[in-house]
Amino acid sequence: MWAGALLLLLTAGQTDFEKSVAPLLVRQCLGCHGGSDPKGDFDLTSADKAGEALQGGLQGKLWEKVSSGEMPPKEKGQSRNLNEKEMEIMRGWLARGAPWPKGQTLDPLEKTTENKAGRDWWAFQPLGKMAPPLPGLHPVDSFLQKKTAEKNLPLAPRASKEQLARRLFHDLIGLPPPQEILEDYLADTSRPAWEKLVDRLLHDPRHGERWARHWLDLVRYADTNGYERDADKPFAWKYRDYVIQSLNAGKPYDQFIVEQLAGDELPDARDETLAATGMLRAGAWDDEPNDKLEYKYDRLEDLVHVTATAFLGLTIKCARCHDHKFDPVTQVDYYKFGSAFWAGDLMGNAGIKPGEKELLVWKDLNSKPEPLRALKKGDPRKPLKEVAPGFLSVFKQLDGPFPPSTSALTTGRRLQLAGRIVHPGNPLTPRAAVNRVWQKIFGQGLVRTPDNFGFKGDLPSHPELLDWLARAFQQNGGSMKSLIRLLVTSEAYARASTFPGEKEWEKFDPDNRLLWKMNRKRRDAESLRDSLLAVSGDLNSRMGGPGYLPNLSADALEGLSRKGGAWKESPPLEQNRRTIYMHLKRSLIPPMLTTFDFCDTTLPCAQRDQTLVAPQALTLLNNEFMHKRSQGLARRVKEKAGEGLEAQVRGAWIFILGRPPAAAEELAAQKFLKGKETPGALAALCHVLLNTNEFYFID
Amino acid sequence: MFPCGQTRREAIWEMGGGFAGLALLSLLEADRFFPSQARGAPPLSPGPKRHFPSKVKSVIFLMMNGAPSQVDTFDPKPLLQKYAGQPLPADMKYINSGGRKVGFLTPSFRPFRPGGKSGLPISDYFPRVRQHADKLAVLRSCHTDSHAHGSALVAMNTGSVFVGKPSLGAWCVYGLGTENNNLPGYVVLMDKRGGPISGQPNYGSGYLSAQFQGTLFRPGLEPIPDLAGPSGVSRGELRKQLDLLGQLNQEHMQSRPGGSELASRAASYELAFRMQAKAPEAVDLSQETTRTKEMYGLEKQPTDEFGRNCLIARRLVERGVRFIQLYSGGGHLEDTWDAHTSIEKNHGLHALEVDQPIAALLTDLDQRGLLDQTLVIWGGEFGRMPFSEGKGEPGRNHNPYGFSMWLAGGGVKGGQAYGATDELGFQAVEKKVHLHDLHATFLHAMGLDHERLTYFHGGRDDRLTDVYGRVVKDIFS
Repeated sequence: MWAGALLLLLTAGQTDFEKSVAPLLVRQCLGCHGGSDPKGDFDLTSADKAGEALQGGLQGKLWEKVSSGEMPPKEKGQSRNLNEKEMEIMRGWLARGAPWPKGQTLDPLEKTTENKAGRDWWAFQPLGKMAPPLPGLHPVDSFLQKKTAEKNLPLAPRASKEQLARRLFHDLIGLPPPQEILEDYLADTSRPAWEKLVDRLLHDPRHGERWARHWLDLVRYADTNGYERDADKPFAWKYRDYVIQSLNAGKPYDQFIVEQLAGDELPDARDETLAATGMLRAGAWDDEPNDKLEYKYDRLEDLVHVTATAFLGLTIKCARCHDHKFDPVTQVDYYKFGSAFWAGDLMGNAGIKPGEKELLVWKDLNSKPEPLRALKKGDPRKPLKEVAPGFLSVFKQLDGPFPPSTSALTTGRRLQLAGRIVHPGNPLTPRAAVNRVWQKIFGQGLVRTPDNFGFKGDLPSHPELLDWLARAFQQNGGSMKSLIRLLVTSEAYARASTFPGEKEWEKFDPDNRLLWKMNRKRRDAESLRDSLLAVSGDLNSRMGGPGYLPNLSADALEGLSRKGGAWKESPPLEQNRRTIYMHLKRSLIPPMLTTFDFCDTTLPCAQRDQTLVAPQALTLLNNEFMHKRSQGLARRVKEKAGEGLEAQVRGAWIFILGRPPAAAEELAAQKFLKGKETPGALAALCHVLLNTNEFYFID
Repeated sequence: MFPCGQTRREAIWEMGGGFAGLALLSLLEADRFFPSQARGAPPLSPGPKRHFPSKVKSVIFLMMNGAPSQVDTFDPKPLLQKYAGQPLPADMKYINSGGRKVGFLTPSFRPFRPGGKSGLPISDYFPRVRQHADKLAVLRSCHTDSHAHGSALVAMNTGSVFVGKPSLGAWCVYGLGTENNNLPGYVVLMDKRGGPISGQPNYGSGYLSAQFQGTLFRPGLEPIPDLAGPSGVSRGELRKQLDLLGQLNQEHMQSRPGGSELASRAASYELAFRMQAKAPEAVDLSQETTRTKEMYGLEKQPTDEFGRNCLIARRLVERGVRFIQLYSGGGHLEDTWDAHTSIEKNHGLHALEVDQPIAALLTDLDQRGLLDQTLVIWGGEFGRMPFSEGKGEPGRNHNPYGFSMWLAGGGVKGGQAYGATDELGFQAVEKKVHLHDLHATFLHAMGLDHERLTYFHGGRDDRLTDVYGRVVKDIFS
């Protein structure tokens, strides 16, 4: 009987530790007192490491710190003291002599807590295998409609054919549909008319130009170094062209990743794969760093950050100084990951020497670099232990040491890293990829923080759909075009973005996360500028090659520290090329782009701002570029419609908005033109139409 | 839709902070789908959200681009007289920026004299500012993180030597909103000789929304880019165009009931129209009296340009603009305060350009009762060495280890010097004020707590002062 009671007591104690004490310690203490560099040199992950602090019961040090409220300390002025219940657990445990199951070590990263994601966080789990739940539907609709049905939400009707064509043109090539193509499509009543249009646009080389820009945002691309001299990066544009060509060629996503990280380490390395490594050289670079030693680690951070953000949708750079505060990424993980770039020319950015290939490439300086050490609080003068190259420990099966290099020239580490990023056992890569494509097609991601799938990020609205798509993407060999095709052939894509009575339903899902209607989009800086050039008939569609320098107003040049000679605008015809070919000088991004929320070129950007501010209106009303477009349009309209007022009004509508004016609109326009028989009158009408919401927003 | 990678819960967290935010957050957490309660709160509505009371409404940052020399202006070092001609002691380590010639300890090129009742010493480079000595709190123990202009300017403006962080002005407008819906909340007036090295990131909004970035104003009839059309469309004609546009947008909206962004965009055209009317007025100096213009040194050289900018700054303060930054010096080297070849020539010119206008600005703000509600900041991106560079009438090289800045107005107790450099003026040694401390102090004057003015970015709640910053409370009355 005694033995039985003792056993009961013992197990009670153990359960108590497992059930309440351990979670409490993990949640409230191990954030600081665990990991690779515990605060105050006090480690609470095991009884051994905690040592004396656990002794002395309620007279001991631990209870002194906790009961006095000293621990856990305030954060941002907010108390984080234990609540009554937690205090009771702690008191009871310490009073019993702080029993700790023998040999047990607490793993601060194992489980997700209220403050931090653990290894059990959804994004790190293997891809789910759920089949589309509703039979007989397009897989995308199947997953979506299950949720809308559960919430009793109505589904918006199909958008009109005109709207759909404009939508598809915008999303796939970033330009409005030319009149002839639009009319062909409207006249084509055959069943696969839509699929034919989709395939036509996916095979249009302008598709690569549109989607390459999304990718360039993500890899903080620009054509110059930034900082004081802001010198050109020689042949950076070859990387930009590589991205366009890869997307147009339908290159498998895995290959696309591997080439950018390790195109030089591939057995079949060639100019194309070498140009791909320009991604690693595309960032801002200071040729006059204050502290050279520290700057080397800053460069490393840039590479770690861009790689993790672009390919994994995970922020790991904050683990440079300490274990990640919110995600299961340790400081050691950061340096393991970073080792891949440690052998490269982090500090140099030497130009291209005579006889070398005219390419901006990344390569290792040798195959045996000095060892990389973790740094205490990120301080290069306080190195900690040496870290061997590897991957993130959260992926246990991918977390082995990298094999030693077989080459005398390169470490092979980037190829190893790339191999783990694209490994089928790594679910983050395909999840992040399909989510990005989804975001561009549907206006917002299934996860609305496309660059952060961690604890501070958004949760997926449709986790099963995300996984189903990720799996399908893997099975299709990582074909972006197939994925896009899949999404735009769904019923969800074809839904109207508005319908009578929608306000009734908005309150149930104000952000339209369940996609019961299409999200209205707005033109980004590129789509806006390119479309203006296209409708005015001025677009120069020449592809590739060095970028052009646009005309800049004196105001914009005020911001340049080296005036005069520094900015030689290109000939007008060159300037009428698509925006992706504009030379991007980091210290002087043209106002036409920045005003319309162009991305920051120093950091990876998965989602641009979307502002609606008066300076945008001023630009579209008054900028010289706009007046040229209006005048070009007026000429085009006159050529086609002749001198008749009615025909001109009609022509202006069709050229700009792709449809004839409604009766009320026609009347208003004629009234506007009447009595203004000046040559500028028609241009003024075109100017107004270019400023309309209808032109700017995509239904 | 939230800016670059931000979720609604993050946005709400930043928006509200405090308990209202927490309550809302827990509501959202309960149902990860964010019910309609969460809606309606605009991400960052304008309007004061101070952490504690402050009278300060505006900031005028007088940026001495290129870095003035502290030992020649606001930090007297009589011992330099004694040690003149000797090298800097060997134990005083520094980075020789640009690998320039290292000369010998050199005393101030112009004498210091006490100013005001306080007797605060200011050199003869600033005789008129000296008359306001009792308004100035000189921080003599400033130090920063970079010896190179490009990164040091960005650091002075954004807290980080790397481009891409939001600038001080952007943080202020993010925190406090704007008080004038017809004008931008953050205005930058450049020097005609050029912009700052590193360009737009100096007044950018970084990861904050683009609406908080600085807008370049220049003196003249078109202070904002594209404010007037190139072909001289008359206001009446523009009104007609906007009326037609409004009508077409109205028709478009009627069949699209759920689109608040459609209405916002239509409204932005009306604001643009008002801005066209109001912004030129704000910089129209013909409304000022001859006396005022003379006081600021207009219509004479070399004070005309900076004088105009100072006068425009006062007019913008009156119109509720939150943050105004004025650059003295632009481009490179001697076009800025970057006195490598001759302190006397360089500072002689640049100080002359700004001394009278700054003194006038302080007088004017004071007379109009605006000084209490305006924080005036003066300084460059770093300081200069106590030893010479070159021979004859030499210049001085960059020095991030010690330099002076001063504050006036905005609740600052004048007539005081805070902190100290060593006896040679080489580096800050007493009550050191790091760049982050400066920023924490500026925000404090505005009623903003630098630890609570945060924005979730890059996996954490990022802020102007990173994880550092100490408010120099002693300088406030």
